[in-house]
Amino acid sequence: MKPLSLPVSADVVAESWEIRIDKEADIIAVRQLVRELTKAHKFDQFATAALATAASELSRNVWVHAKSGQASVRVLRSERVGLELAFVDQGPGIANLELALAGGYSTANSLGLGLSGTRRLVDEFHIETKPGFGTTIVIRKWKRDF
Amino acid sequence: MELGIQPDYMKVLKLDDEECRRRLEFFELTDEDFQRLTSLRSFAERWTQEITEGLYELIMKHAESRSFFPDDATLTRVKRLQNAYFLHLFSGTYDLNYLRDGLRVGSAHERIGMPPKLYLGAYRRYLALIHEKLRNHFKGNEAEAVKAIETIRKIIFFDMALAIDTYIAAYLETMTRHQAAIRELSTPVIKVYDRILLLPIVGTVDTQRANQIMETVLVQVVEQQAKVIIIDIAGVPVVDTKVADHILQTTAAVRLLGAQTVLTGISASVARTVVQLGVELTQVDTRAKLSEGIELALSLVGKKISSKSKSGVENED
Amino acid sequence: MPSGTIPILKIGSTLLATIQIDLHDTVVDAFQNDVLEEIEKTAASGLIIDISALEAVDSYVARMLANTGKMAKLMGAETVIVGMRPAVAATLVRMGYFMSGIRTALSLQEGLEIQDNRSKDRNAE
Repeated sequence: MKPLSLPVSADVVAESWEIRIDKEADIIAVRQLVRELTKAHKFDQFATAALATAASELSRNVWVHAKSGQASVRVLRSERVGLELAFVDQGPGIANLELALAGGYSTANSLGLGLSGTRRLVDEFHIETKPGFGTTIVIRKWKRDF
Repeated sequence: MELGIQPDYMKVLKLDDEECRRRLEFFELTDEDFQRLTSLRSFAERWTQEITEGLYELIMKHAESRSFFPDDATLTRVKRLQNAYFLHLFSGTYDLNYLRDGLRVGSAHERIGMPPKLYLGAYRRYLALIHEKLRNHFKGNEAEAVKAIETIRKIIFFDMALAIDTYIAAYLETMTRHQAAIRELSTPVIKVYDRILLLPIVGTVDTQRANQIMETVLVQVVEQQAKVIIIDIAGVPVVDTKVADHILQTTAAVRLLGAQTVLTGISASVARTVVQLGVELTQVDTRAKLSEGIELALSLVGKKISSKSKSGVENED
Repeated sequence: MPSGTIPILKIGSTLLATIQIDLHDTVVDAFQNDVLEEIEKTAASGLIIDISALEAVDSYVARMLANTGKMAKLMGAETVIVGMRPAVAATLVRMGYFMSGIRTALSLQEGLEIQDNRSKDRNAE
């Protein structure tokens, strides 16, 4: 499945990494990379926790449901600094996206993917999925400037 | 995301093709005007330098405006830009790119701090100089001169509108930044007793502020190892479902840490609204008055307020 | 002696487990095994899990903590989670995880107080 192309021009990307997700330990690798970057770019503790958690949740989804996939982590620089995480897999896809994204504050209806919860942790959340083909999720969080 | 213009005025001013068309229509700029402008291109090239000199004669004559052009290098560069600007008026295409260029000029002046009064006064002189040259150019053809002057007036006013928009957008941006700073300073968490904190919330609570309040509360509860935090909302003008949700989120987070919240300052109208809206505040201790909240908080940490015994002590009054 | 990488200490009739590493399946399995074995061996009536070293807690860890609490309870021990960081609490509620089934306390000291009071109540019965 072709990754989502999003409206961020290439000269806004300052740093870029790719991590394959094939085993459980890779989830930790992604989380640690995210943590290092948030520390290096001085995100506050809340943003750090939000990004590390989102990275964990989405990496784990890839490993649990698709068994294999790719995480891309990019540092963005325009008016502010931001972190972008992309998760691409060729797994089963999500049949009922609306249901997966719904769920208010109860996780009972969310198919256990934690997507609605993760969405509330970040500034931008983009998802493309096709049953039988795979899923691509891209999230972004910008550093607060006050 | 647009780099190079700070902030992105095109987005802030909502300048898309539709808005562009609306503006051109309101300023009554028609194809006839555009053709006239293109046909005057050589006129523009012939006179731009002299017109620019005339403009800067005014600017350099007055101390206030002169102060923005402190050295020859700046002056030369700016005159060059001014010439380019004049020619761009006669460029022939008046679309989003034209708008973007106009915004760049306006924002450049705003960024160096030139106040609108000087900017507009300069435009007035600019227009007068252009009129004079046009009258000479069309000598013997008064009707054509009048039409040309009218067309130029339209496009200059069109550009002035963009310039003023950039000034306003810039001021709004500054105000927003200041407001954000003020908000951060306005979440004062006070220690009222050992392990009891108090946060009086005053003013409107939007999502951004609510998030910032929750984070401040959580940090303080952990730092102070508070068993109870009293959150007083008497100073919040409107408590609707959204605000109530934000408050609930904070109390839930405080509970997760292992501490308790007491909500005070609940007015009669807030109590009515909250129940009518179906908001469940049952998991949180609430009181109408702050003093009641303080008493409750003390009891939760095993203390209470009692009157001093009067025996053997003179009354003060 | 616990075989996993999460140390478990005994303080009176309470067990204290301090989590300082990244959690994944094998670590979690070993941890839960160790906790239950220790409860059985020492007849502990309380378990305290210290998460003050964790900067972020995702749903997997939240579930793990809740499940460990349930398992301990089945074996007669009440669990208290201590040391949750502000950013962890904020992230959990923002995601919608309120962990309502488990008791929390700000510090180890407070957690021990709670366990003490519990066993006092229990002895009084």
